[in-house]
Amino acid sequence: MNLSNIQSLPFSLPEALLAVGVVGLFLLELVVKRKAVLGELALVITAAVTCLVAMQSGGQQGLLFSGMVALDGFSIFFKLLLGLAGFGAVWMSLGSNEMRDEHPGEYYALLLSVTLGMFYMASATNMLMAYLALEFVSQVSYVLTGFIRGSRRGAEAALKYLVYGGVASGAMLYGMSLVYGLAGSLDYAAISQVMAGLGSGGVDGAVVAGAQPVIYLALVLVLAGVGYKIAMVPFHMWSPDVYEGAPLPVTALLSVGSKAAGFAMMIRFFYPAVSAYDGDGNWLTAAGVDWQSLLVVASMVTMTLGNVAALRQDNIKRLLAYSSIAHAGYMLMGFVVMADDGLQAMMFYMVVYYIMNLGAFTVLLMVLNQSGREDIEGFKGLAWRGGALPAAAMLIFMLSLAGLPPFAGFIGKFYLFAAIIRQEMWVLAVVGGLNSVVSLYYYARIVRSMYLDQPAEDAPGFVADRHNGVLVGVLAVATLVFGVWWRPVVALADRSLSFFTG
Amino acid sequence: MPEALGLQHFLLVGAALFCMGLYCVLTRRNAIGILMGVELVLNAANVNYIAFSRYGVGGVDGQVFSIFVIMLAAAEAAIGLAIVLGIYRRSGSIDVSQMTSLRG
Amino acid sequence: MQGPDLSVAAFLLLSALTLGGGGGVIFSGNIVYSALSLMVSFLGVAGLYVMLEADFVAGVQVLVYVGGVLVLTLFAVMLTHRIEDIKVSNRDVGKLPGLAAALAMFAGLIAALEVAPWKLPAEGVAHEAFASTQSIGNALLGRYVLPFEVASIVLLSVLVGAVVLSRKEVAEPRVSDDA
Repeated sequence: MNLSNIQSLPFSLPEALLAVGVVGLFLLELVVKRKAVLGELALVITAAVTCLVAMQSGGQQGLLFSGMVALDGFSIFFKLLLGLAGFGAVWMSLGSNEMRDEHPGEYYALLLSVTLGMFYMASATNMLMAYLALEFVSQVSYVLTGFIRGSRRGAEAALKYLVYGGVASGAMLYGMSLVYGLAGSLDYAAISQVMAGLGSGGVDGAVVAGAQPVIYLALVLVLAGVGYKIAMVPFHMWSPDVYEGAPLPVTALLSVGSKAAGFAMMIRFFYPAVSAYDGDGNWLTAAGVDWQSLLVVASMVTMTLGNVAALRQDNIKRLLAYSSIAHAGYMLMGFVVMADDGLQAMMFYMVVYYIMNLGAFTVLLMVLNQSGREDIEGFKGLAWRGGALPAAAMLIFMLSLAGLPPFAGFIGKFYLFAAIIRQEMWVLAVVGGLNSVVSLYYYARIVRSMYLDQPAEDAPGFVADRHNGVLVGVLAVATLVFGVWWRPVVALADRSLSFFTG
Repeated sequence: MPEALGLQHFLLVGAALFCMGLYCVLTRRNAIGILMGVELVLNAANVNYIAFSRYGVGGVDGQVFSIFVIMLAAAEAAIGLAIVLGIYRRSGSIDVSQMTSLRG
Repeated sequence: MQGPDLSVAAFLLLSALTLGGGGGVIFSGNIVYSALSLMVSFLGVAGLYVMLEADFVAGVQVLVYVGGVLVLTLFAVMLTHRIEDIKVSNRDVGKLPGLAAALAMFAGLIAALEVAPWKLPAEGVAHEAFASTQSIGNALLGRYVLPFEVASIVLLSVLVGAVVLSRKEVAEPRVSDDA
């Protein structure tokens, strides 16, 4: 179904609720005396929005608002994940000492608004909408990055983020203008028809003359914009500084939310819009333009650079930033195979990544709250000075991030590797495997520090706060459970891989 | 010189402007300088959108897109100024060396 | 409709303004001159919009870009002069490699754009000029109403955020939580 503006309204309740939440919190900040209520309200809103999205699953599919956004399995899957990412960020902010008195009304409203932007990134099916959503998320993220008063580090990170973001989205915009010229329309549906008309580039597929160079340039330029959102090399330069400078809950949101939204937008653009589906699980690129080779290289460089740079980090926030770059590289492995099973593996990995990475950030938040330290020293002997449970959870998250069985991270990586091995991309598989080994070193370093290093004589005891502890506990259990009982999530990812193109 | 103006001429201006922006972005070290390069890139893209809207089959879509681009550029400039102001105010009011001790 | 000669002359003049302004932005050593060259470039682009029958966008370009963005940029320039330079790029490319990259990009673009199969109206179909302002208005409140509404939330969030970021701190700023 392809609905007009008014008809679409009943299907955009989650977005409407988020928008009301944004405006409501801005206004409530002015009248409410007890500011803590505002954060709790934001928590309720994100939870309600996630439930509303869940209620849409399995229902009608279609294009809403005259083709601007799609309501399909794919967008619902990502909206669920992003809603949970927003929920996690709000939860962490409520338990963060850093954020206690930083204009809570505006802060939580901005968190809701960045969630709204990510929803539109995941569901946009029109280049104008996609660009607007990407800029929406970026610009609000700049503000959130520099949100803590008096933090020069935060302000500089925000400026750096803004400069790199402007460059990347400018390049993407120019690339989109070329696509607009080729297709004569901004709609993905129309673009895919025109691209199919330019030749499939299969074995016998003839290609319209002159189409290849311009498509190649356009796609590379668009890649700059989305590559920056997912922190893909060479568009990753902002990420370590921004992760380090931003408030911790914002860093967590950027690493699990913005990355997932960037991947969703990337998949929607590079698959249904500019590639053709052969009806049998495989995709053919428009006019036979070979952009996958470029991405294979990007994937290998991204994971290697991320892992190697992470080896020498002492600041855990920065370490997790490089680790998150490396994970973007792993997820790209699923992107380059041009087949449904690769995309499903990516989607499954994003769920797993959400769980384990958010968990690691929350443990870091507990340490930061207690000791004010975010470097590896803060973890020293954590297990022996009252932090046995957080340390055990961190152990689970670290081993899962490294991809060891029996944790969820292993299953996620298993599906990714299976997808590329099925396409016989051996070099990529070997590089990915080696990288997993390298990454084990720095994840294990944190574990060693928690368990094998004795705490200093005068080290303060560690008292786990219950608020963050609950989140850590839930995520740790989820990492364990999905490590042995992953079928339902894989089935969900399989089911959700449906694009409505009209 | 061709007889009349066509799509290619405007695309050429757009491409030249885009590459100027690219050069600016690559070579400048100052944040404001880089942002000026970004403005050049955005204008290059807008020239393309409007040229395609005039000569292509896209209709008014390209013009609408360029308005959104201008709107977002203005918003971005506002945030940029706010951040620069913040840095200025902090470095004006407190000792910078004190700020870098935030690393803890 | 003007004669072809006049429009070619106008096009050449406006492109010269646009690209000359752009050249001033990138080659000027003084950032204030760069900002003023940027204005010249923006005005040239606005002129090109008029030639492309996009009068409304040309108006917006002059009002928002020249009147708004540029003024903000100038403010930022004045401030950054006071706090020395804010270096964000820790790995700037040298001038020569930068020039080489830009020229390579230009050559690639020219080659690709020249032969690209743009989607153009069928031969013999006369170009129909549309009233720029009216059709944009209809598009914004018709087909593009969702982006239009989302844009309002973007602006609201961003402007509130900008105010929070630049608000004068009433109390003594905290150095950090752990100090």
